[in-house]
Amino acid sequence: MALAEIFEKNPNRRYIMFGGKGGLGKTTFSAAAAYWLAKKGFKVLVFSVDPQASLSDIFERNIFGKGPVEIMPNLFAQEIDADQRIREYQGEIRQKILDMYGLDQVPEEIENYIQAAAAEPAMEESAIFDEVVDIVVSGDYDYYIYDLVPLGHALYYLSMASVYDQWIDKITGLREEMAEYGQVASVMKREKETEEDKILKELQYIKHRINASSSILTDKEKTAFYFVLIPEEMIILDTKKAAGLFAKYDVPLAGYIVNRVIPEELASKNIPDYLRNRMEMQKKYLAEIKQVFGNDVLTNVPEFERDITGLPMIERVADALFGVDK
Amino acid sequence: MSDEEKKLGFFDNVKSVLYGMAGHDMARYALKTRGSMEHLFILITMGDLLGIPILPPYYSLRLLPYVVPQISTWKRRMLRERDLTDALA
Repeated sequence: MALAEIFEKNPNRRYIMFGGKGGLGKTTFSAAAAYWLAKKGFKVLVFSVDPQASLSDIFERNIFGKGPVEIMPNLFAQEIDADQRIREYQGEIRQKILDMYGLDQVPEEIENYIQAAAAEPAMEESAIFDEVVDIVVSGDYDYYIYDLVPLGHALYYLSMASVYDQWIDKITGLREEMAEYGQVASVMKREKETEEDKILKELQYIKHRINASSSILTDKEKTAFYFVLIPEEMIILDTKKAAGLFAKYDVPLAGYIVNRVIPEELASKNIPDYLRNRMEMQKKYLAEIKQVFGNDVLTNVPEFERDITGLPMIERVADALFGVDK
Repeated sequence: MSDEEKKLGFFDNVKSVLYGMAGHDMARYALKTRGSMEHLFILITMGDLLGIPILPPYYSLRLLPYVVPQISTWKRRMLRERDLTDALA
């Protein structure tokens, strides 16, 4: 089935993700899909969760940390600046402490903790995760296109949702039990009411946010995940492995897109052996891809004569990806 | 009117005595358990403060403002040396 057909037959799939090893064309396809959908009249946001994002490069505009930027009518792009998000977040926490206790300065010990927490390895991913929740929950767009990070990170990102979820469940349970003991004590002492547990409320808020995001990521109705690969042995092996892992996290795999296929019509021309050999190699691995992934292989996208930057090139990729329908 | 007040006062006193005999210890125990759990909770969420990274720092920061007053007693309790007499407390 062609990619355009899949989009048309599943209008509820509004969260589109492209995943794969680094440098295979995730950003290119994200941009191309966004372009194609925007041309069809849908309001689209393509955003990157990669700290080394390249949407700025492909759209030839610096959009890093600037929120959603309109690239062309209906097409918005956003690169999340995790450091900025963390700084703002730390500021919010400090302010809350100052307000709650009427202090002029955050106690040193607490301040140290706030500083140290920002240096935790998981902090950057968590901050991006949290901002993605903001983006997705707001529901301002018809389509959301995730330009994912390379495989290992993407898996980490996906597994984080389930780890968070379990963590929150555990401590919410503990907190509820604590509330029970508090109640017992106040009944014994015949106090009217126990103090409302603000922490429990905060935990429920966090849980709600995590669930909002992870339920979208694993929703077969609303989400489509496409793997990008190229016809080379190592990539095929890695993709197989990754597809297995993604399936474990219930990520709805919608299909595979093969990128960088050397156009076949070149074979009839006078080309050097170097290129002919590469074409032979690709042919062999294309057959293998077909055998391994079968009908889930949606389309082959050719290798272009130049790199993909700027809207005219993105348009060409979109035509190749979806098939021209003019 | 004044009789009723007196009566109420009398019953209140009886209730207080009964509470002292039966309820107080249970209430104290419940509060003590709650206190221990409070500290366990801070350990799980703010473990990094003692150098025990437990999980995940981003959201635990959201909870930090609420436990600020307990942090110092919690740290003292967590890092205190323990001996047999602790069991009697």
